[in-house]
Order: sequence, then C-alpha cells, then structure tokens
Amino acid sequence: MPLPDDEHWVLSYYRMSEINGSLFFGRLARALKPSPIQHDLTRHFADEAQHAWYWTDCLERLGSPPIKLSDAYQDQYLEAAGLPVNMMEILAITLVFERRVINQYARHLAVPGVRPEVKETIDRIMADERWHVQWVRDALTGMEDRYGKDTIAETLQRFKEADREVYAKTLAEHEERLGFLLRSKEEST
Amino acid sequence: MSAPAAEEVMARIAEVLGIPDSRVRPEVPLADLVGESYPLVEMAIELQDDYDVIFTQADLSAVSTVGDLVELVRSRA
Repeated sequence: MPLPDDEHWVLSYYRMSEINGSLFFGRLARALKPSPIQHDLTRHFADEAQHAWYWTDCLERLGSPPIKLSDAYQDQYLEAAGLPVNMMEILAITLVFERRVINQYARHLAVPGVRPEVKETIDRIMADERWHVQWVRDALTGMEDRYGKDTIAETLQRFKEADREVYAKTLAEHEERLGFLLRSKEEST
Repeated sequence: MSAPAAEEVMARIAEVLGIPDSRVRPEVPLADLVGESYPLVEMAIELQDDYDVIFTQADLSAVSTVGDLVELVRSRA
C-alpha cells in the first residue's frame, strides 16, 4: 500500500534536500585547491549523494517513488541570511544546517510507529551527520586565526537566527503535511 | 603576493564560469554572466582560493560589474 500523502511528501522533501546539499558541496569540492577542507568537503559531498540514494531506495521499497519537488530547504537560507561569500561563511551555514538536520531526523524517529524502513534510513544517515558536524566544527576552529574568533561567532549567530526564521516559515507553509511530526512532539511533551 | 594582472583575473573568471573570454569585460554586469546564486558563490570561493584573499558580504554587495570584482581581487592580493 502506498504511503499517505503527507509522509510521502516529507520523505521526498528529505531526498530533495540531500540532493541539493550534494550538488552544492560537489561544486565547492570541484572549486577548491588540495587541502584538508577539500578532502573533507569531498567526503561530505559523497555522503549527501548517498543519503539522497538512501531516501530514493526507502521510498521505492515503501511502494511510493519519490515525488519531484522544485524547492528545498537550503534555497530559503540564502534569502534569509544572504549568500555565504567565503569558506568560513559556508562552513558556518553548514554547521547550523547540519544541526537542524539532526534535530529534524531525531524528531521524525520520535513519531509513534515510525516505519522500520524509515528508521533504518535515518539511522544510517545520522551516523554520517555526526561526522559532518564534527569536521565542520573543527575546520571553523582552525580558521580562527585567519577570520577572527569573534567574526566566526557573529557569523554563526547570524545563520542561527536565519535558520530559526526559515524553519518556522517552513512549518507554517507546510503545516498540514508536517502535522504528523508536530503532533508527535506534542504527544511526547 | 603581488596583485595579479586584470587580464589574468578576467581569464580566470571566464574559466570558472565556463564562458568565452570575450564575454568577460570590465563593464559587463556580473548579473549578465551569473544568473543564479550558486554559481556566484562558487566563483567567489574559487577566486579567494586561487588568490589567497578573503571577501566579505559587504565587499560583494559593492560589486556590480566584472571590473569591480577584478579590482576587489587585485586590492586584496
């Protein structure tokens, strides 16, 4: 039996966000000269592509092939926070975004009766997401001499505020579709 | 690091964007060459990596033409 529309849309949205992340990091990985950041960014790019595949496979196993969606979560970041214009800003927005992803997937795992296929997919992704947060945080620490510790902290704060704004906007726009996730949070509190 | 020649930076911009050198002239608005946000980010990162410089949002906000961008690179290098 195919998935309910809401769940079908949410899982397809996750897939699209992973694809967009992969394409973004792939372009950056191609642009950078050899360095530790080039190394880790390339692995990050490959992980995001793999995650998009995990969601594609998961959706197909659940009898509901991915919906083609035109927008993804990341697109709204640029509107809210402005374009990241240097490597430090890109890593700062990535750190904020990765934390949001972990939070969102954890929220999904808390849905009562979460499907085994979905749980398995999120569990596989979460193992990578923890590494993503770690390498980006370490890279930002390594940039303190070049960009300034205060500038990095201010940039992180700016993107955190944008993230809160975008997440609230996304919840408001897709309230009906995300209802099953929101209700699970209310039930657990 | 001494400032790179303007011609060199313009040639690099053309290479990064994958367009003919002849389209990258100082008076050309960047918006005519880069229609989307992501290629602009990619180009900014590549130029900073190539010339070991840092751009800020304020820097790029003040840039509207190829010539502005070339001068920004040259002034920081």
